[in-house]
Amino acid sequence: MSAPETQTRGQRLFGWLDQRYDLSPVVEFIEHKEVPVGGHPMVWYYLGGTTLFFFLVQIASGVLLLMYYQAGEATSYESIRYITTKVPFGWLVRSVHCWSAHLMILSLMFHMLSTMMLKAYRKPRELTWVTGFLLFAVALGFGFSGYLLPWNELAFFATSVGTDSMKAVPVVGQWLLEVLRGGPDVTINTLYRFFALHVVVLPITAIALLGVHLLFIQRQGMAPAMAHQKESRPGIRFFPDFMLRDVLLWLVCLILLSGLVFLLPYGPGIPGVEWELGKKANPLAPAYPGIKPEWYFLWIYQLLKEFPAHLFGLEGPQAAVGVVGVLMAAWALVPFLDRRAAREQPSPMFTDLGVGALLFIAYLTLKAWDIGGLAKGETGLPDPRATSWACAWIVLAIGVVVTAFRAVVQKHRWFILSGAAIVQAVLNGLLGMDYLLAGAIVVVLAAVAIAVILRRPAPAAAGGTT
Amino acid sequence: MAEPSASIATTRRGFLDWLIGVGALGWLGSVLYPVLRYLKPLSAQGSSGPVQLTKDEMAKVEKDKFTIVRSADARIIVFEAAGTLKALSAKCTHEGCTVQYSAGESVIWCACHNGHFDLDGRVVSGPPPRPLPKYVVSRDETGAVLVSPEKA
Repeated sequence: MSAPETQTRGQRLFGWLDQRYDLSPVVEFIEHKEVPVGGHPMVWYYLGGTTLFFFLVQIASGVLLLMYYQAGEATSYESIRYITTKVPFGWLVRSVHCWSAHLMILSLMFHMLSTMMLKAYRKPRELTWVTGFLLFAVALGFGFSGYLLPWNELAFFATSVGTDSMKAVPVVGQWLLEVLRGGPDVTINTLYRFFALHVVVLPITAIALLGVHLLFIQRQGMAPAMAHQKESRPGIRFFPDFMLRDVLLWLVCLILLSGLVFLLPYGPGIPGVEWELGKKANPLAPAYPGIKPEWYFLWIYQLLKEFPAHLFGLEGPQAAVGVVGVLMAAWALVPFLDRRAAREQPSPMFTDLGVGALLFIAYLTLKAWDIGGLAKGETGLPDPRATSWACAWIVLAIGVVVTAFRAVVQKHRWFILSGAAIVQAVLNGLLGMDYLLAGAIVVVLAAVAIAVILRRPAPAAAGGTT
Repeated sequence: MAEPSASIATTRRGFLDWLIGVGALGWLGSVLYPVLRYLKPLSAQGSSGPVQLTKDEMAKVEKDKFTIVRSADARIIVFEAAGTLKALSAKCTHEGCTVQYSAGESVIWCACHNGHFDLDGRVVSGPPPRPLPKYVVSRDETGAVLVSPEKA
């Protein structure tokens, strides 16, 4: 250590703090923190960081919006209109908040998907996955509650439908519905409750969960590639090497965000990705065609349409919400279900589950967008048969390309679940079979195929590489 | 001598732990109960008697062939079909969207998930699981239109 008189001001400040709070373990930790390299592309390690970046943008722009936003029957819609039309750069702040929200969820989804594909959730990082899943749920809650705050027509009906599915929860459904809405129907009381959720409850929850999520990652480090895919290479130092790359990517994200905000301040105009204010909510106006939730809820919206009025003694929406609940729970528990990855063995079934989930959601989302069905019939509504037909072809094309890539380049050999998703789309869209019947058929087929594979003694080089 | 006293100590400790546990639960309950009661909204105030259509609402029926009115705890669609006024609950039984009357097709239609009902509220197509509850339309002595829930 140099003598006090030769120290820089920064060193003196550090010395002052170090004397009081003993910072040396922290410095030690930062100096030795490494990011594993090898086995898979580095790009997958940045997505948590970009999600965090967009979350920080959300906090900053959200606070700015709060300076003018007034929740209330006669003020919610009007104050948003005031922000976008009168307040200097108000349009900018709102547009940043909306774009960044969508980009945050997109980034979060890719982050989650990459964790899935790389099996980064495997022992001992199960709880990092679970906290990440909870953060994902909170992010969806942010999106859903924020959607209502402008109190426009679109928000009103999207919230009516979204909250109505609460009644499907067994026993406490009706209670939950009324507590969420502040009454039996969506009214301004619902907005007050959503406002409290959006600006107080969810931010606190998100920050607490994020703290735990990041703490786990600091304690355990980032997940290295699995034993069978690892090339022995030294990791790179987090500070400053990885952090500088992180910062560079954040800068790219900021440029992307600014570009989108300036070019398309009200969104790209795709249903579910737009935020034109439109008309003020009127609880006594009928719902209009083309009411759609935000894009990340579209698959659930479409599933609600695919279910018949009654199924196995349940009402359609109850059954649909039940199916979504089971799928979500399975996704949340993946680290505990994937026994092979926990033993550091190749786990191709769960790689394929990730691809299958993506194709399953893609088909429903495309259908919800009425892709290919916009050649309007005499009713002026998109034709569901034409939509299914076009969407099935798209999913089939994507599925074939992805499967070929995985088979040829990545040497994967396990395609049952992704195959099931493709076959379901083909049965429903190209052969005109009922969506649920097609789903039931492929579930049975996939279950039989998996049972056969699991019973067969594994050859020496079983499975794919991931 | 040591063992019995140890066992008494354990029992006493066990009892105190139990007491603290029960106390904590009681405390939690006494906090949560008012919060849960607070969160559950009061049921709608106001009469559940017949709703009288205003002049504006009647004008809307003339023009659009239907209107939606609010009663104490429901939204009601009042529409004109073949010269007579009919009324149904406007809340779709599927996911609670507000339905509309399509005079051209003579159906009640919900735009959210494409549910169709006939003019008596029965499900014709789409995902709604139950028919729309019916309301009775009547006129009082002054000629005003009244809408009231159907007596079972």
